[in-house]
Amino acid sequence: MNENPYKPIDAEIIDIIDESPTIKTFVIVPQSEFRFATGQFVELTLPGIGEAPFTPSSSPKETERMDISIMKAGQVTGLLHECGKGQKVGIRGPYGNGYPVDSFVGKEVLIVGGGVGLAPIRSLFLTLVDRIKDFKRVVCRFGARTPEDLIYKESLFGEWPKIDGVDMKLTVDNSDDGWSGNVGVVTTIVKSDDVDINNSAVVICGPPIMMKFATMQALEYGFRPDDIYLSMEKNMSCGIGKCGHCMIGKYYVCKDGPVFTYEQIRKYPKIWD
Amino acid sequence: MDKVFLKNLKPLLDAIAEQMELYVPKKLGDYYSFSRYKPADSAEPVFNNIRVSSPAKEFLFPMREMAAVYGGKAETPDIKPFAVFGLKNCDLRGIKILDCVFKEEEFLDPSYVARRDNMFIISSDCFDPAETCFCNMVGGQPFAEEGFDLNLSKVKGGFIVEAGSEKGQKFVKDNMRIFTDLPADAESERDQIRKKSRTRLDEINAEYLLDNPINEIVEGCYDSPLFEEEAGVCVECQGCTRVCPTCHCFYLYDTKQKDYFGKMKMWDSCMRCDYAAVAGGENPRKILGDRSRHRLMHKFVYFLERYGIEMCVGCGRCVEGCAGGSEVRQLLKKLNEELKDKKHTKVTK
Ligand SMILES: Cc1cc2nc3c(=O)[nH]c(=O)nc-3n(C[C@H](O)[C@H](O)[C@H](O)COP(=O)(O)OP(=O)(O)OC[C@H]3O[C@@H](n4cnc5c(N)ncnc54)[C@H](O)[C@@H]3O)c2cc1C
Ligand code: SF4
Ligand code: FES
Repeated sequence: MNENPYKPIDAEIIDIIDESPTIKTFVIVPQSEFRFATGQFVELTLPGIGEAPFTPSSSPKETERMDISIMKAGQVTGLLHECGKGQKVGIRGPYGNGYPVDSFVGKEVLIVGGGVGLAPIRSLFLTLVDRIKDFKRVVCRFGARTPEDLIYKESLFGEWPKIDGVDMKLTVDNSDDGWSGNVGVVTTIVKSDDVDINNSAVVICGPPIMMKFATMQALEYGFRPDDIYLSMEKNMSCGIGKCGHCMIGKYYVCKDGPVFTYEQIRKYPKIWD
Repeated sequence: MDKVFLKNLKPLLDAIAEQMELYVPKKLGDYYSFSRYKPADSAEPVFNNIRVSSPAKEFLFPMREMAAVYGGKAETPDIKPFAVFGLKNCDLRGIKILDCVFKEEEFLDPSYVARRDNMFIISSDCFDPAETCFCNMVGGQPFAEEGFDLNLSKVKGGFIVEAGSEKGQKFVKDNMRIFTDLPADAESERDQIRKKSRTRLDEINAEYLLDNPINEIVEGCYDSPLFEEEAGVCVECQGCTRVCPTCHCFYLYDTKQKDYFGKMKMWDSCMRCDYAAVAGGENPRKILGDRSRHRLMHKFVYFLERYGIEMCVGCGRCVEGCAGGSEVRQLLKKLNEELKDKKHTKVTK
């Protein structure tokens, strides 16, 4: 283990995949073996420039390399998008709790995702399908603004929907001519009979506004607040429960999260802001 | 041998300064600040009646420091033993709070731990609490109970010196030549003085007497418009969080040096508008009242839930230092009244 939690370990970008006009997946090889649990995040440093938190989108089974899908949103992410193969980076982590996959055993898992929120979800999805027999079903409802904003297109339109035990539907907010699927925000494809509400867990990850509406919908359908799992995105700096930036009520999102049940955080104000 | 007597401060401070860097209070107008002790220029060292204005966190968690070096090598500062004289019980309790965060087992903060291990603490009893002091309202006393290496209680003709740690005991043993035996009535005099200071604090804060524990008041009035109203005087200078001995928000930023990169750790403030903003533009505490509520909730509710102690020691620095003239005791008192009204309406309904 690294003695100094603020010191990143060296890593290198070995490949870059264009996913959408604003999102790229960076394949990163850390200098030494790096293990994480699905849903945990890392602090990725662009040396001398800055760092930002990201959830790896690859399976935790791969310990030699890790995929991180990054949306261009500001300074650090913007400069990362300009990087090429061979770029040296730094990684701190993994941090946070990750998804409680074992508690999903025997249940149906409904995953509602949007935009770059599919990044953590891809890692979760790969983890679930790896032991798909342990779950009754994995039901995916994914969305993006336009068809070209959908990331992981190859998997979404290729293998993933064909996996036994997986039920997948996609939607876009606005379509173009080539799109024959559903048009509408992601909540329009989540139905009350998608899963057995009394024996399932819902995982929601996406932009704040989408998370809010998906959560309200899930509650309306009768899901219990402690069956709704939310990946909370808050301002972060240290990642280790000290700097105070990420607090939601008494929780440090970096340490106690980023995954929370709605039950845990519902009493705090402005959780979606 | 845990308690000995000292006639003058100078021999003690000189003996400490022989072994390590020593910081002592210096009088600046009505206030005290810390400065490096130089035996030659200090004919008569200052004994501070109340706490120094700057917070003790500066010795452990400096405003800015290099938290890590990566992608190369740099000289890492070698932290040597140092001593601070003149800390009061509120300072010691503040350090205990910082320990909860920076010495938390799971992620030790290496430079904090190194400084903490190397710090020799010489505290002293408060002689004359100020109008801004309210440690009595948050479970404190105007004299040290734990967390010191040596503690001084001023009495007639000198000071009772008490060792509170192995380091302190060793120091006393090694320096017996500067101490004498305790005069017969010194301890009872000390108890009298301590009682007097405590009574004085109770008088100072009589008008802020609360009917419920602070955490219940703050949490119970969570929705109160008072947070926004009281924040009206705030000029957003963030001074309260800087002078506070327990506030410990910081952010990390990266620097590029000639042959290495550095991750710097710098004080931040939860009162800063963009403190919690994310790249998409969302900000849960855009409104000043929300930030001031969060600050109080963190201090009196969240920290308590998490670590079992409140994150305020009642030192009054934020009261003394507020550019807008806000006063945490007044806010607490108003919230107290509001909660009483709430409870009352509930009962009569
Ligand atoms: C647990 C977690 C997992 C994440 N996973 C991903 C992911 O897999 N893919 C992805 O594209 N994005 C992810 N994000 C969001 C990503 O971290 C932000 O987009 C990124 O921090 C923006 O940085 P910037 O310097 O480009 O933006 P700027 O707007 O230039 O900077 C934003 C400012 O806010 C600060 N800041 C701190 N925390 C955040 C934050 N969480 N979001 C935005 N700003 C922040 C920055 O330090 C900076 O000062 C995740 C966020 C969190 C908290
Ligand atoms: S909140 Fe004010 S009184 Fe309490 S410890 Fe901080 S500066 Fe002192
Ligand atoms: S990011 Fe610093 S406390 Fe969570």
